[in-house]
Amino acid sequence: MKSGGQWAGPPPPRCALRRACAAGAMVVLTIGPAACARRPAGVPPSNELLIVGYDREPDTLNRFSTHILEDIQSCIVEGLTTTDEQMRVVPLLAREVPSLENGLVRVRADGGMDVTWKLRPGVTWHDGVPFTSADVKFTVDAINSPRYNPESTDGFDRIGSVDTPDALTAIVHYKEIYAPYDIQFIRGALPKHVLEGRDIDGALDYNRNPLGTGPYRVAEWRAGEYILLERVARYWRGTEYPHIRRLLFKFVANTNTRINQLHGGEVHVVALVPWDKYREVAAVPSIVVHQTPGNAYEHVTLNERQFPPFADVRVRRALLHALDRERYTRTILDGLAPVAHGPIQPVSWAYSDRITRYPFDPARARALLDEAGWRPDPDGIRRRDGRPLAFTLMTQAGYAIRENIAQAIERQLRDVGVDVRVELHDGTEISAIWFEGRFDAMLHWWQMPADPELTTFFAADRTPPMGRNINYFKHDELTQVLYASDRTVDRAERKRLLDRAQAIVTEAAPELPLYTVTRLDAVPASLDGFRGNPTNTGIFWNVHEWSIR
Amino acid sequence: MVDSMSVPALLGRRALQAIPLLFVVSVLVFLLIHAVPGGPFAIYLSNPNVRPEDIERLRRAYGLDRPLWLQYWSWLAAFTRGDWGFSVIDGRSVSARIVERVPATLELVGTSIVAALALTLPAGIGGAVRRGRWFDRLTGAVAMAGISLPPFWFGLLLQMVFAAFLGWLPSSGRTTPGYAGATAMTALADRVRHLVLPVTVLAVVQAAAWSRYLRGSMIETLAQPFIAAARARGVPARLVILRHALRPAIGSTLAIVMVDAALVASGAVVTESVFAWPGLGSLFTEALARRDYSVLMALLMLTSTAIVVSNVAADAAHALIDPRCV
Repeated sequence: MKSGGQWAGPPPPRCALRRACAAGAMVVLTIGPAACARRPAGVPPSNELLIVGYDREPDTLNRFSTHILEDIQSCIVEGLTTTDEQMRVVPLLAREVPSLENGLVRVRADGGMDVTWKLRPGVTWHDGVPFTSADVKFTVDAINSPRYNPESTDGFDRIGSVDTPDALTAIVHYKEIYAPYDIQFIRGALPKHVLEGRDIDGALDYNRNPLGTGPYRVAEWRAGEYILLERVARYWRGTEYPHIRRLLFKFVANTNTRINQLHGGEVHVVALVPWDKYREVAAVPSIVVHQTPGNAYEHVTLNERQFPPFADVRVRRALLHALDRERYTRTILDGLAPVAHGPIQPVSWAYSDRITRYPFDPARARALLDEAGWRPDPDGIRRRDGRPLAFTLMTQAGYAIRENIAQAIERQLRDVGVDVRVELHDGTEISAIWFEGRFDAMLHWWQMPADPELTTFFAADRTPPMGRNINYFKHDELTQVLYASDRTVDRAERKRLLDRAQAIVTEAAPELPLYTVTRLDAVPASLDGFRGNPTNTGIFWNVHEWSIR
Repeated sequence: MVDSMSVPALLGRRALQAIPLLFVVSVLVFLLIHAVPGGPFAIYLSNPNVRPEDIERLRRAYGLDRPLWLQYWSWLAAFTRGDWGFSVIDGRSVSARIVERVPATLELVGTSIVAALALTLPAGIGGAVRRGRWFDRLTGAVAMAGISLPPFWFGLLLQMVFAAFLGWLPSSGRTTPGYAGATAMTALADRVRHLVLPVTVLAVVQAAAWSRYLRGSMIETLAQPFIAAARARGVPARLVILRHALRPAIGSTLAIVMVDAALVASGAVVTESVFAWPGLGSLFTEALARRDYSVLMALLMLTSTAIVVSNVAADAAHALIDPRCV
């Protein structure tokens, strides 16, 4: 103790402290001025360098193997077609999109079809070798080969063979009708002269620095830090493209850090800004938050197999009437997302507005539940045959908007006598749980492909593991209509079938659609040429047009 | 313990004890990471472009359809041969993925430990010597704050103030991309600028605990009769503190520091993720999210081994400093 006597409080070792201070001062004086001089943390965006804050490091730059969005890849490797800001399929390395009308799609008498791809002349790979139909044929053969493990073989496994009558024509012979043929080669092609005869999974030279035909090539990939792309010297669109010389994709996994970097100018572009960060990001003066009406829709899946009361259409409709979805979009979603009524969103050519809508009407909800035999008990919870109308609603943890929506649903369903308990899990865990069907209800979204195929989500025989019908909803006419729509390439006929499918789905309400997911991308206010994209194609599909004013 | 066991013998005995321990750890870790729902391909389930049959095809290709014990056995056999397998994320070898991240983590953790010690020594010694005075109260309050601060929150706060608001320091990363620096000095300065914020987080949190430990240990030692004897012999106060008191007192603190060294590295998981530091911590976060089993197993086994080794080293160091401990 201090007052315990003269021994307890001797003077401190002043000389040693002084020496330590002097040494510290030397270090600070040497490195300090350079380290702490007020150099702005970031640099402004320019046609010399644009920095993208990217939420993860890509697994591979091979577009056919990657499991994440192909933003970086799409700057390097181009498809025969791509999708634009309105989700239209537009030609890229193909001269035009094949269709029945232009005669490039031919339905065969044996039930198969032939699709002729006319390639754009004058396109070369980055090493100067011409891009030809042999590359298209090689790609199909490689993906169908048992020696390569691409992410998906969808569509490719329906191709019998590919003919290459000349260097710029590839005729793809499908064994059966495949409606999304127009986006079959959206991921581009593999260069035959580089990969022929090789183990593509193990071809790290290609997978980490792919040869493409696009406006950029990989200049540097620093593990865990960034990928730097630089413009290629002779891009096929002309030497004026792309306008921005270098694109830097900086890996910043933490969302808050990414937003902080946007504030400090350390990054210039952040794709897919979370909605709860919208106000904060929109307030940054040099930034514009671009809104693109999306192709994904947030909804509650109702698992009829796990929780049999969902099999009663009156219960499902009652749940929809009990939710004030307009209010969710106004409040929790800050007016950023419109209410969704069905699985196909207005941005799609296949969207139909001749569908059943369920306005917020708690009285109607109560009446429907009464009619279905669910009567309220004194505790306010409805019961039938002594069993409560109670289920768990599973959703993703750490996703503020979803957690808030889940709580709002819990509250509003409680008001009509339905007992809901919210359960939170991490994203990967959730995927495994839903695939095994071990949940009652789940709040999540489906990012729909550019092609409006609904079969995997609603056909009776497409419950896991054969598909994603995790409502375990079975409707014979719907199943029939969906398969018929998959087997037609006549756009008008397919639209008619999909209109019918949407009418059935909305009438039967197998799930509770909530809102259309609007995509938010933060870009510099000085960026010209940005057009956005509602699909997984990503915002970089027209990066060659971007420039900084 | 009155035992004639030498330090090398002690090390040998501990190393032998470590082998069955690490084996048990490997079984537990393997079972745990496989018990977490979702495998490496669960991420594909929500992707409408990937059909369930594609996922099955990939599971078979990576051997994930085999019984768990068989998967463990092949992993163990390969691991003991030095073959750590391939990352399911990018198909590269696990060792290559780990080796490229080691320098960044060593740089961050090493600097943080040095910085933490630089804070610990004056705070711990000063707090004990000036016990109850303002310096002691101040360091005590700061240490309490440091112990209570969640690193991710502290990190984000520093980023907001020093990077986003003041613009003095970069908010994340290890270097400014594409900024080589005009001279070696400016390049070094760029590295230092990037280190400041994450090191502050790790060092403050560590020093908070260590300084309290050193303070306690110093107070205990200063009350010992041999200190009174030294002072009675007229040994100058500075020598009493730095030689007579600090040596025995720092032994146990050093043991804690060495044991903690491995834990600092694992604590860096959060800090690395907040500051996008390209080290083992961010690799671990990424591997965990994707359930990249071979990378996770290798990292967890490395961490376990590091903890065992640092414990053995701490025992040895303590024994060397204070022979009573052998």
